[in-house]
Amino acid sequence: MKITKKWVATAALATVTATVLTACSTGDTGGSGGDDVASSGGDEQVTVGFSVYDMQYEFFQYMEEGTRSAAEAKGWNFELHDQKSDENEMVTGAQALLDKGVDVLIISPFKPDALGPIVAKAQELDVPVIIDDIGGGGVPYDAIVISDNEDGGAQAAEFMDEQIQANGGSKKVVSITCEPSAVYAARRNVGFVDEIQKLGYDVVTELSGNSKAEEGYKIMKDALAKDPDVAGVFACNDPMGVAAANAIKDSGLSPVSDVVTVGFNGDAEALTAIADDGMSATIAQDPTAMGELTVDLADQAVSGEEIDYDNAEEREVYQPVTLVDADNVADYLQ
Amino acid sequence: MTSPDLTTAPTPPASDPSRPGRRLDFGSFWDTWGITSVLVLLVLVAVATTPDFLAISNLQSILRESAYLGIVACAMTVLIINGAFDLSVGGQLALVSVLTLFAYGVGGTGLAVVTALAAGTACGMVNGFLVTALRVPPFVATLGMLFVFRGIAYLLTQNGPATLPYTEVDSPFAQIGSLNLALVPFPFVLMVVVFGLAYVLLRRTPTGRRIVAFGSSPVAARFSGVSAARIRFVVFALVGLAVGIATLTYITRVWTADGAAQDGFELSVITAAVLGGASLQGGRGSLVGTFSAVLLVTVLNDVLVAHGVDASYQNIILGTVLIIALAIDGLRTRFAGVNLLRRSFGPRTPKAA
Repeated sequence: MKITKKWVATAALATVTATVLTACSTGDTGGSGGDDVASSGGDEQVTVGFSVYDMQYEFFQYMEEGTRSAAEAKGWNFELHDQKSDENEMVTGAQALLDKGVDVLIISPFKPDALGPIVAKAQELDVPVIIDDIGGGGVPYDAIVISDNEDGGAQAAEFMDEQIQANGGSKKVVSITCEPSAVYAARRNVGFVDEIQKLGYDVVTELSGNSKAEEGYKIMKDALAKDPDVAGVFACNDPMGVAAANAIKDSGLSPVSDVVTVGFNGDAEALTAIADDGMSATIAQDPTAMGELTVDLADQAVSGEEIDYDNAEEREVYQPVTLVDADNVADYLQ
Repeated sequence: MTSPDLTTAPTPPASDPSRPGRRLDFGSFWDTWGITSVLVLLVLVAVATTPDFLAISNLQSILRESAYLGIVACAMTVLIINGAFDLSVGGQLALVSVLTLFAYGVGGTGLAVVTALAAGTACGMVNGFLVTALRVPPFVATLGMLFVFRGIAYLLTQNGPATLPYTEVDSPFAQIGSLNLALVPFPFVLMVVVFGLAYVLLRRTPTGRRIVAFGSSPVAARFSGVSAARIRFVVFALVGLAVGIATLTYITRVWTADGAAQDGFELSVITAAVLGGASLQGGRGSLVGTFSAVLLVTVLNDVLVAHGVDASYQNIILGTVLIIALAIDGLRTRFAGVNLLRRSFGPRTPKAA
């Protein structure tokens, strides 16, 4: 019996070790070792640390791709850290990047409010911090890159006006917003409402769907019950946009020719719906270009150049967005 | 394998006269030092494969990171030894974090510290009340309270998460998480102190002996006059107090909390306790084992992150380690069971005796 016990335990120990070793060696071939990080600045090679929200999401995979390729194009070392949608991992991992001696930190924060301890440490070490999307958390970052949300909302309004005129619809439209705490996303609806009112429309319903598909569906259902002749709907994100389109279909109407439905993001589900005539358009963000832009700003920050802000007060730099409808959706699918 | 000497921290083999000649038995060694050996092994692997592993900042990061998990896992081990467990610690951590940040906004560092400890203890007492006075089974009571605590935390943060504003960066409160005492992170010092106190409680006080006695044999303990309800109530309250202490080290590092904070924390805590040798059937657990298991989990995470291993693989590896550790335990217990049967029914005395 004793022999069996020992054998089992030894084998198990060996397996643990082997698993860990395998994991480690796999990581090594990935080439992200970053052994000789030069923290002294000067003319030595620059190392950029990028702490990303969560690599499971396509949006952040594109962002990482843009950031990495732009950094490599500059001949920089690139260090990646995945926050895995966890504020604790975000703080620990981003601080670890700073400990390793990165020259500049780019971060798309899972919880903007947890940026405090990270930026405090960066300031101690005199490392510039560039934020990519999500939010700034009221900390002294060097710059934040966000999509030009207000312009995106205005583009949606102009497109909707053209389509409604072609459809011969009414002057009533609906606006579905994200949760109130998402301040940047709120600008999408502000831009939309400003522009659509200028074009002579009434926003008959404006409610928060808290970024959630099911709430977007319900808001659209209720809006149609209240005003059956609604001619257009703009949703703050694509999950709510697609859900609103489904609510329109379930009411026996077309989300293209009866009620013009426009979302925001450029998510795959929205693109598919647009290609299948199940939705009119979406405003596509460009995470790859956002990543590239953060590296340009990082370069300026490291070399001490003045950054050219779009909104100097909040140190914001905007990335243009693009309207995707049935005409150009093929370019975005694949 | 049911002898009470296995219930807590290491027992020197010489003090165990009931089993002479078994000092070098792998089984008893594994019970106490198994996970610690794996930790040592892992650290050796880490040193060999990760260039920056021994950098002071990295070691500090690991120790600082261990603290909030370790402090709660320590109390959880005591609770498991007593024969219960608490699924609500994640909800407690979220709620206490939110309340602590609010308290800081109102009354500064002092009020925040008092609030963390008081709110944590109060959460634990609620659980203790449900389990002992209302006789709800711990699994159900604490699962329910997990939702209640998280729900309250969500309610309190409906208009945005509770935060420590950047202007407070130099306050004593914000320093709790980042302070080092002679290069050792203060949160880790707290964790060592908590483990030390738990050890003293279990080994040197009558209350501690009752906690162990009730866990290993509730019936026998009841016959010998131990008040199960009172003891268990106290242990649940201690788990809450531990969450309060852990919150102080957690929230001063992360600065923000809402109802979703540290989702799944209870599972990490129970994983650490179980890896450390605690049995969810109750009555068995090891403080040394839990301590090592907490470090093991943190070191493993650090090494995998340093090597850029994909997050999904990290989960798979952690799950595998847990299952292997339990498989060793399960197989050992099964063989031990066979031995016991043989001893009970067989005509001959076991060879070792």
